[in-house]
Amino acid sequence: MDDALLLAADAARVMLESGGETYRAEDVAVAVASSLGGAEAECYATPTGVTLSFVGIDGRVHSIIKRIKRRAMHLERIALVDKLARDLVAGEKDFESASTELDRIERLPGLKVAYSCAAAAIGAGFFTLLFHGMWNDALVAAAAGIVVSRFPPVMARRQMPDFFTNLFAAAVGAFLCLGGKELGLVANADAAVIGMLMLLVPGVAVTNAIRDTIAGDLVAGVARGADALLAAVAISVGAGATYQLWRLLSGGALP
Amino acid sequence: MTQWLEPLWAGLGTAGFAFLFNLRGKDLPIVALGGALGWAVSMPILAATESQAFAYLVASMVIGIWAEVVAAVRRRPASVYIICAIIPLVPGAGMYYTMLEYVRGNNWNGLATGLATLLAAGSIAVGLAVSSAVSRLISLRSIARRLSSPRRKPTIENKGKYSQQSIRRGDKKNLSASQESRH
Repeated sequence: MDDALLLAADAARVMLESGGETYRAEDVAVAVASSLGGAEAECYATPTGVTLSFVGIDGRVHSIIKRIKRRAMHLERIALVDKLARDLVAGEKDFESASTELDRIERLPGLKVAYSCAAAAIGAGFFTLLFHGMWNDALVAAAAGIVVSRFPPVMARRQMPDFFTNLFAAAVGAFLCLGGKELGLVANADAAVIGMLMLLVPGVAVTNAIRDTIAGDLVAGVARGADALLAAVAISVGAGATYQLWRLLSGGALP
Repeated sequence: MTQWLEPLWAGLGTAGFAFLFNLRGKDLPIVALGGALGWAVSMPILAATESQAFAYLVASMVIGIWAEVVAAVRRRPASVYIICAIIPLVPGAGMYYTMLEYVRGNNWNGLATGLATLLAAGSIAVGLAVSSAVSRLISLRSIARRLSSPRRKPTIENKGKYSQQSIRRGDKKNLSASQESRH
C-alpha cells in the first residue's frame, strides 16, 4: 500500500516539477491511488508541494507530503505522466510496469547544451523578426538568447534563486543587445531586446496563474501569480539597470 | 518586414520555444502551426479594433479550441499545445516598453503601458478559460472521461461511511473492478 502511495505522490510531483497544472497533478495522484486500490483518495497540490492521502486495503489512512523545490518546463514529461495515469485507470498497466515507466519518465534526459542553445537562438531570433526587427537584429538577439538561455541551468546548479537568475540574465542580455547597437550590428535595439527577453518573460506563468485561479485552485493560482510577478520585476529591474547604466556611460542618450 | 510573413516568424519562434520546453517529434510542427494560427487571428482584429486585449482574447480562444481538437487527436493533454501556441501572444513587448518608459522617467506612461500589458495577459488567460469551458460543455470525449473518472467511482456506500468494515468492502469492490477491466 505504501508503494502505491509513493508512486501516486511521485507522479504528481513529476507533473508539477515539469510545469504541469495544479489540477492535473491532483487528478493524476488521485487516479493512480484509486486505481491501485486506495479509497477516498484526496490530493491537495500547490506549486511548492503535494499532499496525498487515501484509505488503504488494510483500512488505515495513508498519507504523504512531497515538497517541490524546482520547476522547469518539460512538456514531454507532462504528456507521459498524464498517459501513465490514464493507462493505470484503464487497467492497461499494473503497479510494476507503472513504477518502471515513471522512473523512465523522470530520467528522461533534458536537452543537450547544443540543442538548447539552438532552440533559444531560434526562439529569440524569430521573435525579433516578429517584432519588426531586421535580419541583423535577429542574429544579435539569437546570440544574446544563447547566452541568456545558459543562465537558468548554471544558476540552478549553484542553488541561486530564480529571482537572481532572471535579474542577471536580463541585465546581461540587454547589455549584449545594446553592445550590438553600439557596434553598428543592430538597427532596431527594441526588437532585439524584446526577442531576447521573450526567453525570460513569465507570460506562460501569468496565464497559468489566472487559469488556476479561474479553475478554483485559489492558493496555487495566487502563488503562481506572485512567482510570475516577481520574475517580471526581476527582468525589468535587470534590463532597466543596464539601460540606466548605458545612459550614464553614453552621456544621457538612450537607445 | 512585410506583414504577411509575421505568422511564419511566430510559428518558427514557437517551435524554438517548444523545443526548449522539451517537446519533440511530430508535436513541433503542430505547435508551430498553432503559434502561427494565433498570431494570424490576432493581426486583423488588432488592425480593425486597435484593442490588443480584445485581439488576444479572440486569438487565445481560437488557440484553446484548436488545442482541444489536436489534443483529442494526439491523445495528449491540451495544455501541452496551449502552452506553446500562446507564446507569440505573451506580452513580452509590453513588459519591455513598460520598463523603457520608467527608465525614461515617464512614470505615468509606464503605468499605462504596464496596465495594458497586464490586461493583455489577463485576456489571454480568459480566452483560454472560455474555450476550455466551451469544449468541456460540448466534447463527448471529456464527458466520457468524467463519467469514468476515478474520483466519481462510488467506492464507499453512504451507510456507515466511516466504519472500517464498509471501507474495506468498498476497497475490495474497487480493486476487483480494476482487475476485471484488466483482463
